[in-house]
Order: sequence, then C-alpha cells, then structure tokens
Amino acid sequence: MSFSNTGLRRGYVAAQPLALGVFIYAVTFGLLARATGLSIAEAMLMSATVYSGSAQTATVSGMAAGAGIGASVATILMLNARYLLYGAALRPWLAQASPTQAYASLYFLGDSNWVLAMKAHANGESDAGFVFGSGIAMFIPWVGGTLVGSVATEWVADPKVLGLDFLLVGFCMAMGTGLVKSRHDLLPAAVAIVVAIGVDRLAPGGWTIVAAGLAGAFTAFARKEDAA
Amino acid sequence: MTVRMELLPLLFAVTIASFACRAGGFWLMRFVSVTPRVQAALRAAPLAVMIGIVVPAALRGGVAEWLGLAVTAVLMRLTRRDLVAALSGIATVAVCRAALG
Repeated sequence: MSFSNTGLRRGYVAAQPLALGVFIYAVTFGLLARATGLSIAEAMLMSATVYSGSAQTATVSGMAAGAGIGASVATILMLNARYLLYGAALRPWLAQASPTQAYASLYFLGDSNWVLAMKAHANGESDAGFVFGSGIAMFIPWVGGTLVGSVATEWVADPKVLGLDFLLVGFCMAMGTGLVKSRHDLLPAAVAIVVAIGVDRLAPGGWTIVAAGLAGAFTAFARKEDAA
Repeated sequence: MTVRMELLPLLFAVTIASFACRAGGFWLMRFVSVTPRVQAALRAAPLAVMIGIVVPAALRGGVAEWLGLAVTAVLMRLTRRDLVAALSGIATVAVCRAALG
C-alpha cells in the first residue's frame, strides 16, 4: 500500500510537536491581517487557500501599501519558489500515489512538514499518506490560529505598539539568517542587497522584493561554479 | 465577517500562484531534470527574497528596528529556531518603541 490511512495517521501524529509553532505564527498573521484592513473571513480565506506564512504576510503588507494583483502574484511566486524544489524532491515518493492523492498532499505541503517527511522517508517511511497526514496536522493550527489572531485584534489597540508591523521583517531576518549555510550563499545575497537598496531608492513599493529575489536567483544561475 | 467582492480576483490569483508553486515542481519533474544551475537559482531565491523584504525596512527604520534586527540575527545563530528569534526581535522593537517614546 503506497498511500494508506495508517500512513496518514503516522504523519499526523509525527507532526504534532510542530503544531504549536504553526499556531503562534498563524495568530500573529491574523493580527497583522486585521491591522492591514482584512476582515476575519478574508484572513481565514487567505490562510486556507494561499497557506504560506511568509507569502501571506508579504501579500497583506503589500496590499496595505497599495500593491495590485500583478505585484501580489509576483510576490507569492518569488516567496514560494522554494516549493518547486520541495515538490521536485517529493516526486519519486509521491508518484506512487494516485494523482489526486499526490496533488492533495502538495496542497497541504508546508516548510516544516516537508522537512519532517523527507527525514521520515530517509529513515524508511514509504507510505505517501505520511505527507498528506503531516500536512493536515499543520493546516488545522494554521487556519485555527488565523481565526484566534484575527478575533483577538479587537482588543489590540495599536499593532505598532506591539511591533507587529515588524512581524514579516523579523521572520525574514530569522529565516534568512538560517539560510546562510556556506560561503556559497553570500554572493547572491550581496547582489540581492545592492539591488534591493537601488530599487527601493528608485521605485519604492512591492517590486523591491521581486527585484531582489530575481537578482539573487540569476546570480546563482549565472555563476560558473556548480552548486555544492 | 464578510469577504469584499472586489478582493476576490486578487485572492483567486494569489491562490493559483501559491498552488502553482506547490504542484509545479512535482509536475515538471515528469519532463525535465533540474539542472545544477536551475537548482542553484531555486535555492538562492528564498534568501534573496527575504533580503528584499528586510532591506527597505532597515533603510526606513530607526534604533528600535536596527536593534530588533540584530537581536533576531544573533538569536537565530544561537538557537536555530526562527520562531524564537523572530518573536524576540519583535518584542525588542516593541520595548524600544515604548522606552524611546
């Protein structure tokens, strides 16, 4: 059996230790979404459909600054480009399941359950239901936390006092610092910094993110030496 | 507790974009093998995107924001937990704003 209920349950249980962190992140997103003018229903709809913390936070911040559909879609594509790699890496495993099961598992795929699933697979887990089950275990606290955060905003007077406007920047600083793993990461990062400063001076707004992302990606692509 | 109609096209577009990223890599692997160059580009993109988010905030920020960024980076290096590092940075910004008025 390549996709079974027992595998699904194993994934759901294995991901539970990650649920609290996802819940707290979702609460902060709910607070930010309300602060930028989204209704409770809109915040929850976004959490259930886009289902990506960094992409959602960047999108609502951009919308508050006047970003339209084009800039919002570009932001999502750049921030979620890593999922192309995640999905590609899951291909040999998920291809054993039916297309419906595989694409449903991909819909509920997040950073933490992807890492968890890849680790489990390396340790001998072969049931593709594990990917789906661990994804569901992340999706429930994500949508639930969004509800709690967006309702709680009624009692939060000014999100700036709590530093919530710093939410996305703080998470990006943390995740970005964690992403610098070798000397190899420094050149694309340096080019991205220079381009970000330049674009921010010339054309402030949502496009700084996209320009910096493309600059870093192209630098890595164009570099002669192969990725380690 | 309502969803604005004029917001639906944008929400629909970002939903499609988000799912395209999730499903795209899995789907594309039917046809192509990711070359080392493409892989290097995909791997470099997230950090570069995050730089694009942090840099404008840093350029506009004051003491509170710079301290928040420093606390976040140091804690991330020490703890390797992004939730701990980011929330501590956010708390630093809040405390500095309260202290500095």
